[in-house]
Amino acid sequence: MNMPIWFKPCFDRLSSMSLAIALLVVLALSSVIGTVLLQNQIQTDYLKQFGPLWYNVFRSLGLFDMYHTSWFIGLLGFLMLSLVVCLWRNTPRMLKDMRKRKVVIADKSLQRFHHLKHWRLNKVELTQVIETLQSCLSDWEQKTAEDSGKTYIRADKGRWNKWGYILVHGAILIILVGGWIGAQYGFRGTMTVVEGSTDNTISFVKGTGTGHLKMPFDIRCDDFFIDFYPTGMPKEFRSTLSIIDNGKTVVDHKKIIVNEPLYYKGVRIYQASFGDGGSDIQLKLFRLGADKVETVKTKVYETWRDPKTGVSLEITNFRPFNIENMANPGAPKEFKDLGPAVEFILRGPGLKPVKVKTFMRPFVMKGQNRGNLMMVSLTGEERDYEPFSLGLDFSQPTDWKLYNSFVDVLKKQKENNSQAANFTAFKSAMNKVFGNKRPKNFQQIGARVIQGMSNLSQVPWPFIPVLEDYDQVYYTGLELAQDPGMNIVWVGSAALVIGLCIMFYMPHRKLWLVLEKKGNNVKISLGGMTLRNKLGFEQEFHELLTKIEQGFDSRPSEGSAT
Amino acid sequence: MTAITATRFNFETINRGLPGFVRFCTYLGAITGISAYAMYGPSGYGDGGLLYFLTLSSFAWFGTGALAGLASGVAVGMAKPSLTTAKFSSNLVSWLDGALMMILLAAFWSVMEPDQALISYADQSNLLSGSIIMTMNIVLLASALLYVTYLFAPASIVGKLATACAWVGVYAGGSALLLRWYESYMLDVEIGHAPVSNLYEVFILLFCITTVIYLSLERRYQAKAMGAFVMPLVSAGVFFGIWLSARGHADIKPLVPALQSYWMKIHVPMNFVGYGAFAVACGAGMAYLMRERIEKKNGNSRLLAVFPTLDQLDQLAYKAVAIGFPAFTLATILGAAWAAEAWGGYWSWDPKETWALIVWLVYGAYLHVRVSHGWQGRSLAWWTVAGFLVTVFCFIGVNMYLSGLHSYGRL
Ligand code: HEM
Repeated sequence: MNMPIWFKPCFDRLSSMSLAIALLVVLALSSVIGTVLLQNQIQTDYLKQFGPLWYNVFRSLGLFDMYHTSWFIGLLGFLMLSLVVCLWRNTPRMLKDMRKRKVVIADKSLQRFHHLKHWRLNKVELTQVIETLQSCLSDWEQKTAEDSGKTYIRADKGRWNKWGYILVHGAILIILVGGWIGAQYGFRGTMTVVEGSTDNTISFVKGTGTGHLKMPFDIRCDDFFIDFYPTGMPKEFRSTLSIIDNGKTVVDHKKIIVNEPLYYKGVRIYQASFGDGGSDIQLKLFRLGADKVETVKTKVYETWRDPKTGVSLEITNFRPFNIENMANPGAPKEFKDLGPAVEFILRGPGLKPVKVKTFMRPFVMKGQNRGNLMMVSLTGEERDYEPFSLGLDFSQPTDWKLYNSFVDVLKKQKENNSQAANFTAFKSAMNKVFGNKRPKNFQQIGARVIQGMSNLSQVPWPFIPVLEDYDQVYYTGLELAQDPGMNIVWVGSAALVIGLCIMFYMPHRKLWLVLEKKGNNVKISLGGMTLRNKLGFEQEFHELLTKIEQGFDSRPSEGSAT
Repeated sequence: MTAITATRFNFETINRGLPGFVRFCTYLGAITGISAYAMYGPSGYGDGGLLYFLTLSSFAWFGTGALAGLASGVAVGMAKPSLTTAKFSSNLVSWLDGALMMILLAAFWSVMEPDQALISYADQSNLLSGSIIMTMNIVLLASALLYVTYLFAPASIVGKLATACAWVGVYAGGSALLLRWYESYMLDVEIGHAPVSNLYEVFILLFCITTVIYLSLERRYQAKAMGAFVMPLVSAGVFFGIWLSARGHADIKPLVPALQSYWMKIHVPMNFVGYGAFAVACGAGMAYLMRERIEKKNGNSRLLAVFPTLDQLDQLAYKAVAIGFPAFTLATILGAAWAAEAWGGYWSWDPKETWALIVWLVYGAYLHVRVSHGWQGRSLAWWTVAGFLVTVFCFIGVNMYLSGLHSYGRL
């Protein structure tokens, strides 16, 4: 073959060990970048974080989607090239070495062995000695030859060790090829399907934007279900899915959970996330200062605007369970389900926007009804939620009635703010609402209303929204993926592990025995060598020496070792 | 020489020849029996988890397998004695003995467990495993102290005590973990899961694996001085574990859905074989650097008599990496397989995955550096130390500083 002059040095460089080391280190170092810099975030977040200068530098280097940039892929390609050249150069030589085992060894080479031992046996038959030695080496692969009056025995263990090298390096090549095929011809994206509806398009991150891909079938979410542990942590997310292909239902009501995907037409469908799919929400508005109660119907993700006051509620989420630790800090945990709650952002003229979570049921502690709770976050962050007790139990009409009549009476008697006056006012409000038929728990109601008097006066909003009813729908977040290269990757992985085991645990160990008959004596030399696991070999060699000496000793004739 | 060995009973002999081989076959049979039960048992391994294996029918399958193994072991061993000298049976059988002892120990603890009425999810302080883990902490710390003492006062009793403490630590930790597995079911059948689900549990696993790898190297290559470097590393971990438990991270918590998979039970422990081996390699590397310093300062220091030679230490570090690298490779592949089954792709460049790759590349480079010319012992020793720092970051740092899908281990 005719090769250009520059080819040979390049070829040598590409297969050099220093290049392999350099490549591995460079790959390791550059991989760090992508873990420190959060990948695939929204561009404006990056801009805010780094400022315009660094943002542009990082962006032009592709650091926000680093593992898919051409320079990183190029690095991997370079690794592949290097591996190919390595294998190309070394494999034929290694295969030949493994097949051919030189038995005859020059005396000079033998003397240089690290593990070396000589014996001289008196009055023995050569053939007998050979027999003894061969039986001592029964678990070694042996080969015998004679040359210029000397007998040579070569023994090997782990003769196929170089296959480890070929497998390991070939495997990495295979894995990279598999990965490349997956990236070229596979896809992976998410699809959100609301309970009862159907969808067929996945979306995925593509560079700095979002890509879409239509699947060759439709997925209907029949049902979504969450199961909880007694502690309130979610135990299982379960979607019931049907797949409709060409108008035919090919998969009917199949359940999938996390870790147990569904497989159809080469596409795997995973349970990945879930959320509210736009539940119907019915709120009751208790207008402060007016006896009136209104009902509002809306949906999650919709905004309802009050025509009278301009106050708006943007419904952000609904949850049927709200399990919270109700114990004081430090005390043993005490989990309690506070029941269904809806979250919204309340905005209005002259009002600071706040995030609110309002419940359907009153808060009951130790058998005592403490009235409704709200969680209010002034910053809008989840972690800043603070409980706010409303005092009244809004699910009981009498609470609200008594409260309003108390407010009325107080208004009428105006100026007089003494404790006694307040007490009479409360009594007359009681009489107004209940007449002389006071309910059994009127003391509790009274306590709540008095609590409500002080707490509700702090509310700057024109009304108190309380959850009245709901009809929940979830959406299920599915992940759909197809990867034609995956099986290739698994084959490569298997080869990698097998290759490593061969490489490390079946090191090639070589022994040479040289026997020479000198008159009545036999001179024996044993040399051993290995390149790997030298410590283990040292022990093995010594065990072998003991075994051989025992073999000599057990023969009738005299033996002496030197 | 035969006369000398014959007078002293050698424990190794029960692992060799027929006794070792028959025991090996019995274990093999028992493992086959229990695996068959898991796969073909009456109701199939599913939601039952550990409890599925603590039933009478499970013991029947297990016992049948063991008996069959025993019988065939005796038969084969008698018929073909050359098989009984096989290395793998004598090497593996002591590990299997250890595993059996650990299981028996855990079974014993489970009998000592306080009354069910005293145990609740909210207050787990009564669980016995807590006290056993505390014992393990103390014993491991003592062992580290003794190993360091041994360097300066190489009396054989100190060395023996150090080794004994390390062994006690391993058995305490391992059996405590097994017990914790059982306890998780005592709290609530629904909560029950293998004890490899949070940072606290895997720390204990890591101590045990690191110590066991070290001890097996110590036993084979008489490298006691290395313990003075490996065990302090373990001790540092012990302090971290104590801190975690003080912060309330030691409680048994239910598994989030993402972790409810049999992959967890193989992926996580396999990873820790890798981490543990790399810790031992780091210990060997530090011992190497220390010995080199001492040699430079004072060529006939008394300390040198205790240390293995530089060449031996270099080989020990390599030996540890040779255990860790394939294990870590396998663990990463298992992780990829799990991800493929749970997340929709075998590789997502999630920080934990990426750092696992980085660790792997670093040790891969180390192996190449070894065979290439121009680098000698010293730089290799530094490489093992640096490699372990990278490993530690991959293990803890990623959870602390970087976000990602593995954030269940969050601090
Ligand atoms: C991710 C990439 C790689 C991995 C994981 C890997 C793994 C290994 C391992 C484990 C060894 C055995 C070291 C020992 O003897 O203890 C080895 C040896 C070797 N590697 Fe790699 N390798 C990789 C890439 C490369 C590349 C790119 C080259 C070539 C440029 C290369 C060339 C060699 C050579 C020549 C040997 C020595 C074989 C021998 O003499 O036994 N490797 N490799």
